[in-house]
Amino acid sequence: MSFSYDPYDDRTQLARYIDRYPLSFKRTPLEPLVPRPLTLSERTGPVAADLFTLGPMDLSKTSADAPRATGQLIQISGRVTDEDGSPLAGAAIEIWQANSAGKYIHDADRHNAPVDPNFTGEGRLMTDAEGNFQFFSIKPGAYPVLESGWWWRPPHIHFSILGRSWMDRFVTQIFFPGEPLNETDLLLNAVSDRDVRERLIFQFEGTSMGEVNAMGFRRDFVLRGRRQTPEVD
Amino acid sequence: MIVSPYCTIGPFFPASFVEGHDDLTRYRGGTARGQHIVLSGRILQEGGVPTRNTILEIWQPDANGIFSSCAGADPGFAGWGRARTDADGWYRIRTIVPGSYGDRCPHANLMILAIGLTRRLVTTVFFADDPDSARDPVLDCVKDATARRRLFAARENAGEYRFDLILRGENETPFFLD
Repeated sequence: MSFSYDPYDDRTQLARYIDRYPLSFKRTPLEPLVPRPLTLSERTGPVAADLFTLGPMDLSKTSADAPRATGQLIQISGRVTDEDGSPLAGAAIEIWQANSAGKYIHDADRHNAPVDPNFTGEGRLMTDAEGNFQFFSIKPGAYPVLESGWWWRPPHIHFSILGRSWMDRFVTQIFFPGEPLNETDLLLNAVSDRDVRERLIFQFEGTSMGEVNAMGFRRDFVLRGRRQTPEVD
Repeated sequence: MIVSPYCTIGPFFPASFVEGHDDLTRYRGGTARGQHIVLSGRILQEGGVPTRNTILEIWQPDANGIFSSCAGADPGFAGWGRARTDADGWYRIRTIVPGSYGDRCPHANLMILAIGLTRRLVTTVFFADDPDSARDPVLDCVKDATARRRLFAARENAGEYRFDLILRGENETPFFLD
């Protein structure tokens, strides 16, 4: 099966230049991006299952019998498809996020919020045959972007997806519904279209009660790529 | 269906997602065939200022021009890798000189993910002794001769290639429409 990849339609994406986000003006190329043909090299990509050790499906525990991290337990689920709606099986999903106090496990995080020793902060998993994924975590906290002097990031989870090729490699951040900081976030508001904005926000899926008590959230992802129409002579 | 919106990778991509992926020459207990090299360089923003904590990903064929996801590929070569720039903007990847195949000149695909970039930037680094005589369907899309030469890695010493990525401004690296 061969796939075609159209360039991203800018209307479905965030703006490249964002006011009050200075690095967008220092790192975005001045020259127009160069159109090119897509050869085998761009249409292939690594087989994720060969590359990675797939980590915990539960970021809220450092091991199966360890205590839960502090905060609201959440269950995240979703499905990864291409533009035809066909599932991407075996796609690797890398997740990372702040803990419930808004602190990342990273040497670049200078926010003076506490680290939670029970929270992994990151995980890798793989989509099943239907493109579905799910994991448990703790609802991330908000945190200040210290160098900005004013900007607080709303709660969000980072996703990095390795799909079927170099062309559908995908990285994003997904936000939580109803958060007051969503209204002022520079990134979430770098979209002109209401529908695009909604694609950056989890849908609340209700609560579960029983062995695990968690709030459920869902986000489906559509990666670039369509089945190529056979050429007719 | 409408494609999902990209968003910036931000400053906090976990170190554990990078560790071990900057050496493509050792893979699943094997060692890659071909000429082992270090590909390194700086990733600079406007004004030649280094970008720290930038993520670079690479995808290239093996020494025979075969991609790791295709039949007959070198089992000791990863094909894909990832590195992070240090405080001076340097990245460093151990790989092999990619083989040519079909109409493609030896090359590696590169991707940049960084704060300030809402989407990834993609380009291709080429390996050739004489850049001006190299022919390649992707390279040939860059019409300006000076810009075109910026897509070639410079051989510095035996086994060492240098390739800087200048995101914006003077000597800007050509990036491809994505």
